[in-house]
Amino acid sequence: MSVNEKANILMVDDQPAKLLSYEAILGELGENLIQARSGRQALEQLLKHDIAVVLLDVSMPEIDGFEMADMMRQHPRFQKTAIIFISAVHLTDLDRIKGYQSGAVDYISVPVVPEVLRAKVRVFAELHRKTRQLETLNEELERRVDERTHQLRESEQQFRTLANSIPQLAWMADADGKIFWYNQRWYEFTGMEAEESSGLDWKHILHPAHADRVIESMLSSRQMGANWEETFPIRGSDGEFRWFLSRAVPICDSQGAVARWFGTSTDISDQIAAEERIRNLNSQLEQRVTELETIMQVLPVGVTVAHDPLCQVMTANQALSDLLGAQPEENISKSTSSAGGARYELFQGGHALRAEELPLQRAIATGRPVPPAEWEIRRKDGSNAQILGSASPLFDADGQVRGAVGAFFDVTSRKKLEDLLRERADLLELASEAILVRDLNGILLYWNAGAEALYGWKRSEVLGQRVHQVLHTEFPTEKSVIDSTLLNFGRWDGNLVQQTRDGDEITVASRQAFKIGTEAILEINRDITAQLHAEEALRRTERLAAMGRVAGIIAHEINNPLEAITNTFFLLRNHPSLDDEAKYYARLGEEELMRACHITKQTLGFYRESQDPVEVSVVELLEDLFELQARRFQLSGITVDKQYRTQGMVRGFPVELKQVFLNLIGNAIQAMPDGGTLRVRVAERINHRKGLHADLCISICDTGHGVKPEHAKRVFEPFFSTKEAKGTGLGLWISKGIIQKYEGSIQFRSIPLKRGNVTCFRVVIPRARHTGEPEPAMIFAGIEDAASTIQGELDAK
Amino acid sequence: MQNSVVILCVDDEENPLILRKLVLQKHGFQVVTATSARMAMETLNHSHIDLVVSDQLMPGVTGTELAQQIKLAHPHLPVVLLSGVNEIPPDVHYADLFVSKVEGPRALCEHITEVLTQRGILTQQRTQ
Repeated sequence: MSVNEKANILMVDDQPAKLLSYEAILGELGENLIQARSGRQALEQLLKHDIAVVLLDVSMPEIDGFEMADMMRQHPRFQKTAIIFISAVHLTDLDRIKGYQSGAVDYISVPVVPEVLRAKVRVFAELHRKTRQLETLNEELERRVDERTHQLRESEQQFRTLANSIPQLAWMADADGKIFWYNQRWYEFTGMEAEESSGLDWKHILHPAHADRVIESMLSSRQMGANWEETFPIRGSDGEFRWFLSRAVPICDSQGAVARWFGTSTDISDQIAAEERIRNLNSQLEQRVTELETIMQVLPVGVTVAHDPLCQVMTANQALSDLLGAQPEENISKSTSSAGGARYELFQGGHALRAEELPLQRAIATGRPVPPAEWEIRRKDGSNAQILGSASPLFDADGQVRGAVGAFFDVTSRKKLEDLLRERADLLELASEAILVRDLNGILLYWNAGAEALYGWKRSEVLGQRVHQVLHTEFPTEKSVIDSTLLNFGRWDGNLVQQTRDGDEITVASRQAFKIGTEAILEINRDITAQLHAEEALRRTERLAAMGRVAGIIAHEINNPLEAITNTFFLLRNHPSLDDEAKYYARLGEEELMRACHITKQTLGFYRESQDPVEVSVVELLEDLFELQARRFQLSGITVDKQYRTQGMVRGFPVELKQVFLNLIGNAIQAMPDGGTLRVRVAERINHRKGLHADLCISICDTGHGVKPEHAKRVFEPFFSTKEAKGTGLGLWISKGIIQKYEGSIQFRSIPLKRGNVTCFRVVIPRARHTGEPEPAMIFAGIEDAASTIQGELDAK
Repeated sequence: MQNSVVILCVDDEENPLILRKLVLQKHGFQVVTATSARMAMETLNHSHIDLVVSDQLMPGVTGTELAQQIKLAHPHLPVVLLSGVNEIPPDVHYADLFVSKVEGPRALCEHITEVLTQRGILTQQRTQ
């Protein structure tokens, strides 16, 4: 009911006249006047309308005023309805009226004073109106309170759902900072239960290193009621700390006092780690950039970068600036010509390059690298330089050319060196020595005409090869020793044994030089094979002669007295004054003396024609011996099988050699009293250890009674004889001595076979190869070979 | 007949010379001796000698050199050289025979007889 709404005033009287008069009196109040002529009508009206005041005539038929009032008071709706009784004053009436004092009751006595009536009705009407207004207001308020409560409930529900769904930890604390609520995520992270968390001291979950700081800032922010923000690690359920950004905001009540704190903690560990990584990467990147810049600056190669596709800004490193005669940091672009004109011009093949022909410009224009090429720089000051360079385009993220880089190398000195080397190479080609250059790995870099002539390898065949492998070089010492000598002292001299392309072994005097910084070793090799052979031949001759002289002296000193003694005994033995006993003694002495003479004749006797060795043909010598022994062969039934692959020229003393072979042939004959085969072979055998040396091999084999194994080791011992009384036991010993003087060897093998034995003696005499005799074949590949041949012959018989 | 053969024996060493002389005498030769080449040449100038037996190695003049001198003065006089060393000198061809000392006395006498026979000084083969 609004303030201006009319109040319903119910007038109850059984007398219409009275009702009319009330109407007249109250009309000016402007309220709504409702008439009722009886209690019944009045109740009807009460039910119909919201009645503010009931004007009630006490004395009415049927239901009087009090009865009416009683009825109203029994009805809850009308308990508070104001009632004004109109009555002639009776004391009893007044008492009854007092009985209604709980409600709003008044009374007016008759005669009714209009002003009083009006005043009283007005008050009640007004009261009613006010009451109604209050009620409406209350209802409104309640409704709004309900609405608000509902909204709040909904909002809190939403908040919690929201708070549980966010990835952050969230919490709420009361004004004192005591946390009474955590979101689900909190429990998940900390692994705590709700009971544990209530009233939790955060110290327990904070990182110890941060706890004091965080709690202090929390307290201070609480005191000031201000927002709080801190970053610190919180311990998770796994015991690991993770970094969180925590914030709290105060929530204030209407008076502005802090009612709650709402806080969140956001896990920023990954973020921090990522930031750390980015920081590290940045730092590394900066280092790389610094390194690259430093490298650029100290690089002896000129480097330039064009920073735009038009090459308007080109920066160069120190090396290139120097090369171009530009200032450091200067823009070296030729597209933006400076006031002083270009500092340099680039030439190729004698003509100056236009801007679009420059390497970086070409790389940009074609979008492809410019392969290495040589240019000439002519500087403003008139100097010039030869450069080798290349360029490459740079692309942006979209694949568009954004610039280019170029690298340039000063090859002026190299070009000069090349010219110089070319001149020198011409000289080197004239040298008769083999001149070669190899790198430290032995790879051949240079090979002159002298080397081609000496080794027989063409330049094209050996360049790039490991030269000492190709030449089968044998070094006099460890290769590593030679290398270290070269590296430390720069020089090495020595003789090398190498092989030519044809497989001939040669000895070269090698001088090797290494210059630090060149990474190459120069070798000059001179063939000294022939010289060495000559020297060796001379040495051997001298040796033989010297030995001859020694033997001569000994022989002189022994043979002279021997002769005198022999003569003495000769005279003594036949002296007539001697009795038989003395003669016997003299004869014994003479016999023993004969033995001594025999030995000196064998060893120191006349078996040399002269002091100087001569060229002897072993074959001729053997033929002489066979001729002499022909009759003995015939008598013993011995077949002689001869095979000469060479004339067997050797430098020596014929008598000496004859003695050796006579001894061997004689032994063979004696070994075959019942016949057999005497096989003689003469051939050359290349001695690979001694270069061009070809040893002479003479083998003499018989099919006689063989050498017993127990005798095998003793046959070359002096005074060892298998021939009992027949031999002196000196033959093989002397033969061996002779052959050893020739630096040769004498060996034998005896193989027992089913039908007889095969005994072979092989004499090897080393010597220089006789170039006139071309067949260096193995004649005595093996005793087994010879044995099988002879066995075959035996079988054939 | 051998008794008429006179042999000049030359050696610088006395003992071997005497012994050789005795051996040759025993064999029936007449022997004169000389201890040097010079002395030998003098003897040859004054005496009749049928054959010279000389040592090869002597101080001053060697046997072969002596032989050369003898052949110049007495081309038909045979010279037999004895040597104790193991080499045959290059000028050995001046001598009629070159013999090792260690061949022994019998061999020496046989060689001398052989030479004498070859030269017609001795006609008889058998000497002993």
